[in-house]
Amino acid sequence: MMSLAVDTPWALTGLLLALLPLFNNGMRSSPAPWLTLIPGDTLSVFIVCCLRLCGVAAIAGLVLGMAGLHRTEQSRERIGHGAHIVLLLDRSSSMDDTFAGRAPNGSDESKATAARRLLTDFVKQRQNDLIGVAEYSTSPLFVMPLTENKNAVQAAIAATATPALGFTHVSKGLGMALSFFQQQPVTGSRIVLLVSDGAAAIDHDSEQKLRFWFKQQQVRLYWIFLRTANSPGIFDQPEDSRDDNAGAMPELYLHQFFLGLGSPYQAYEAESPDALKQAIADINQLENLPMHYVERIPKQDLSAACYSVAAFLLLVLLGVKFCEVER
Amino acid sequence: MTETLHYRLPWQSSSVYPGAHPGQMIGAGQLFKRHEPLIASPDPRRIDLRASVLDPFSSYRVRVYQQQSTVNVYVLADMSASMGYADKQQTLIRFLLAAANSAFDYGDKFGFIGCTERIEHRWLLPACRHMGSVSALTKQLERLSFSGSANGLQNAAAYLPAERSLVFLLSDCHFPLPQLRAVLGSLQGHDVIPLVLWNQHEYAALPNWGLISFQDMENNATRMLFMRPALRQKIMDAYRQRQHDLKHIFRAFGSEPLFITEGYSTQTINRYLQQRAV
Repeated sequence: MMSLAVDTPWALTGLLLALLPLFNNGMRSSPAPWLTLIPGDTLSVFIVCCLRLCGVAAIAGLVLGMAGLHRTEQSRERIGHGAHIVLLLDRSSSMDDTFAGRAPNGSDESKATAARRLLTDFVKQRQNDLIGVAEYSTSPLFVMPLTENKNAVQAAIAATATPALGFTHVSKGLGMALSFFQQQPVTGSRIVLLVSDGAAAIDHDSEQKLRFWFKQQQVRLYWIFLRTANSPGIFDQPEDSRDDNAGAMPELYLHQFFLGLGSPYQAYEAESPDALKQAIADINQLENLPMHYVERIPKQDLSAACYSVAAFLLLVLLGVKFCEVER
Repeated sequence: MTETLHYRLPWQSSSVYPGAHPGQMIGAGQLFKRHEPLIASPDPRRIDLRASVLDPFSSYRVRVYQQQSTVNVYVLADMSASMGYADKQQTLIRFLLAAANSAFDYGDKFGFIGCTERIEHRWLLPACRHMGSVSALTKQLERLSFSGSANGLQNAAAYLPAERSLVFLLSDCHFPLPQLRAVLGSLQGHDVIPLVLWNQHEYAALPNWGLISFQDMENNATRMLFMRPALRQKIMDAYRQRQHDLKHIFRAFGSEPLFITEGYSTQTINRYLQQRAV
């Protein structure tokens, strides 16, 4: 589907000039006593037609270029296998440490770098998905709405290379991730991919809201927990009953909260880049439902193409002019 | 300047006036024609005694001689636009002057009929013996730029005298063959000498390669040609075929055309006229 438009419609009146080559071949004519005597020649007729068309096209190209021909922004409906994915990335400063809990040196990469690398690969594989990116630390960061533009998503993921911030405010981050799905048609599956290396307690009000939103938006949640060595995991049970509270073991309590959401939930505990890779491959395999989405193609300026076509045709005509003989 | 065309008639002129060509009249001539009774031609100096003695009715027989007579010479000129090509117009004027000169030298009357779309009175010169009116006409012709077609040729016969005249038909014959047949048909009562003015430049001097745009001089139609050796050969063949067709038609009407393609010269025409009279 092509829909063309011009910037200055009145300039199109110049298209009338394109008819000129039909009336005037632009050549100096030589007198001939009687043309009937000259036998007809198919090749000549063909060449003359071509030259006239060249002339018409050259003038039309120039006029369309001046009028600013462009293709309007388009939206294309597409059906593919994939999902609406919001990558919710933890930007707490601990993400800049390695899985061993140290500052990164030459041999070990930080958790953020590993996540970035693997998520970039993940995005590369998911060609049909709509992917959005949100981050959270002290407060949620809106990075990229749901889009099919993979370059933009890659750039958004690459942008997490900047140094991280202080705290971990997971409930607001989740709230923002869920808000991405508002005003989006429900097609395919909807996923929030939470990548974090820690958790925080969620207060009662936020719990209520998140429960409601998860149900309303029909979102699946995947939590990739990047576990630092010697830190509590999400499946660990408290050894001492005094530690059994949200303040002491936020990971476990957050896990339990997610389990109680009532929407599909899967948690992965990754203790190394390989485990993270495994978790992402897992999700990649699981989330391939058919989905229906609208792809947007931006406005495309065609005047440069018009000018180059016209310039080429004018060169051809100039060459022909040099081939002209007169008697 | 005074070029003379030595035209001779292979037929007898019916003119009564004494001139330089074989005529049907009898009178003061050198060529014996027949015997007549003295009562029919009362000239006792020409009594042929031997014929009178041999006459069974024993009347006097008188020798009568053929009188050299005049003939009316006309130049019938095609003045269509195509005759303005290259040097055809100058050729026409030169020939007109030469023909008028020689006609007056012979003591013949000279007339001119110029034909464009139709026959215009200003391009008509009735048979006369005035060099002045001929040179006035040529001066006018020099200033004229030819235009239009040669349709007037078909009506030219109406402006020729009833008796047989010598008609030089000057044209490039760039009109359809049926029209030429009609013209020649209307001129059958006269002795037509067709001179076909062509210019080599119009067909032999074409370039081998290149784009050329031709504009017809008569109807202004334009045609662009991509010249190449094959097409050039095709055009030359077309002209050769045309020459063949024209010769065929002229011969069908009893006259051999002279194609003037390489510049006009009185000698060429004289050679042709002498061949014709033999």
